[in-house]
Amino acid sequence: MASPNSMSLASPDAMTPCYILGIESSCDETAAAVVRADAPCGERVVSEVVLSQLEDHRPYGGVVPEIAARAHLSALQALVAEAMQRAGVGYGDLSAVAATGGPGLIGGVIVGVMAAKAIAMVHDKPFLAVNHLEGHALTPRLSHDVPFPYLLLLVSGGHCQLLVVEGVGQFRRLGTTIDDAAGEAFDKVAKMIGLGYPGGPAVQAAAVGGDPRRFDLPRPLKGRPGFDFSFSGLKAAVRRSIEQMPPGPLSAQDKSDLAASFQAALVDSTLDRVRRAVRHFRANWPQGTALVVAGGVAANAPLRAELTTLAAREGLDFVAPPLKWCTDNAAMIAWAAAERLALGQSDPLDFKPRPRWPLDPDAPKARGAGAVKA
Amino acid sequence: MRILAFDTAGNGCSVCLWQDGQTLALRTLSMSHGQAEQLIPMIAAVREDSGLDWQDLDAIAVTIGPGSFTGLRVGLAAAQGLTLATGLPVIGITTLEAYARQAANAGYRGAILVAVDARRDDLYLQPFHADDTGGLRPLAAPLAAPVEQVAPLLADWGITTATVTGDATALLDGIAALTASHPQAAVDPACLAGLAAGRSAAEAPAIPLYIRPPDAAIPQNGGQLRPDVPHD
Repeated sequence: MASPNSMSLASPDAMTPCYILGIESSCDETAAAVVRADAPCGERVVSEVVLSQLEDHRPYGGVVPEIAARAHLSALQALVAEAMQRAGVGYGDLSAVAATGGPGLIGGVIVGVMAAKAIAMVHDKPFLAVNHLEGHALTPRLSHDVPFPYLLLLVSGGHCQLLVVEGVGQFRRLGTTIDDAAGEAFDKVAKMIGLGYPGGPAVQAAAVGGDPRRFDLPRPLKGRPGFDFSFSGLKAAVRRSIEQMPPGPLSAQDKSDLAASFQAALVDSTLDRVRRAVRHFRANWPQGTALVVAGGVAANAPLRAELTTLAAREGLDFVAPPLKWCTDNAAMIAWAAAERLALGQSDPLDFKPRPRWPLDPDAPKARGAGAVKA
Repeated sequence: MRILAFDTAGNGCSVCLWQDGQTLALRTLSMSHGQAEQLIPMIAAVREDSGLDWQDLDAIAVTIGPGSFTGLRVGLAAAQGLTLATGLPVIGITTLEAYARQAANAGYRGAILVAVDARRDDLYLQPFHADDTGGLRPLAAPLAAPVEQVAPLLADWGITTATVTGDATALLDGIAALTASHPQAAVDPACLAGLAAGRSAAEAPAIPLYIRPPDAAIPQNGGQLRPDVPHD
């Protein structure tokens, strides 16, 4: 997908490889990666290691911030050392050091930011505090060299947004969730039904063999103007459906039917918003060619299938980065830093970690929006 | 021996470069939060002031808590980055021992109770004994306890008179056994370096000392609305 604004990102000295260390610690994965910015698509990620804290949080049915912060601190040093060792480069060979600077759970963000700042200071390298959402948003360029502008559906445990990515640091938010994020809804519904954590894979698995029409669940905001999302009413409707069932434990079939009905409603509601956004994007950004999905919920097979069909029908390329780069990872942080570095950007060593950090600060605040988790 | 020492676990952010008992460079700021912004520029400034290069140093010393969870992570994560980037060993010192050392250095002898503000209803505590030459030994492990338990704890430890020190001495006014008070606002990084100078990273690893477990409750039935096994 060659284009005037695609890579590669040149090193200041064309002979010196441009290695960037990235660190991610904003939610429940601790990750480190080394990316070679001047390499062709497909050869850029030199090393990457991820440690999931899933088991630490599983008993709580969700991410506990203090548990996450402690786990990041215990894991970080060994992970960074491993990423550097696998890459076979020394700290002095790096062109920059990057960490997620927010948005996210602040205790974890601080851990990655402090380590990255310290490394950058010792070796006198540029430090970049990367917006975690920009990391997700620019991943299709790491994996597929997608040219600007493109339409991005960012769906994760903490976010659900439709963005036009016009350039590095240039985002136009079309819509966002006015209450829960999609991944959050999956987690909460899975918890109510008793399917375990994390909810996304659990609901998808339970929905196989379930009847998506058994429970008549709402499709929030479907057919309404705008591009916002809402999932809390859907979640409440699942709760009511369970409460109205005869007393006693749910049967396996009940669980499957609930999961299938919920998943169908969520996908249906999401698709309605994306369909509207695609038409708006095509009308206003006619040079755009791609619909991109990123974030952990991009792993949901029915959603992916529907998005593929939608993009084909609307004449857009559908791009989904590999799943390991859809969920939280450090390669996307190093890559976003590479894109910013190529534009001459870096951040001061007194950068303040940011629990909230919207990609499009000019976007109107969504009613009731308040998700903090990244 | 040359040591870079810093503390962010309490009400300040302080950094020093220490060489065999002498402070070559020092920066301190009083703050209850914001250490994540200040610490690295302060370390850079202290190293520059000292005229030393990273390869001239022998070790890094850092407070491991107890204190503010976020504050101690700021220091420990910075120490991780420094050891990765320089290869220097990191030596961890508790805030409690640092305060006890500072009290002993100020001439206090006998039983010393260190009290650190936990910013909750209770305190982080540890009793020490300072011998005639100022040598310190802990009388019990660090713990968290509310103010009203301090007198019974002192009795349990067999302490009849003690000096109270640390950043929470004011909360312990009126306890009969605490006959002297040596309030301190912050850990002195030079004292930290002095403590670290006698230790290896294996003896004193830079592992956080939180004392308190994370606040989190495991939901009943995992949050399930219809538990698979009905309750009687």
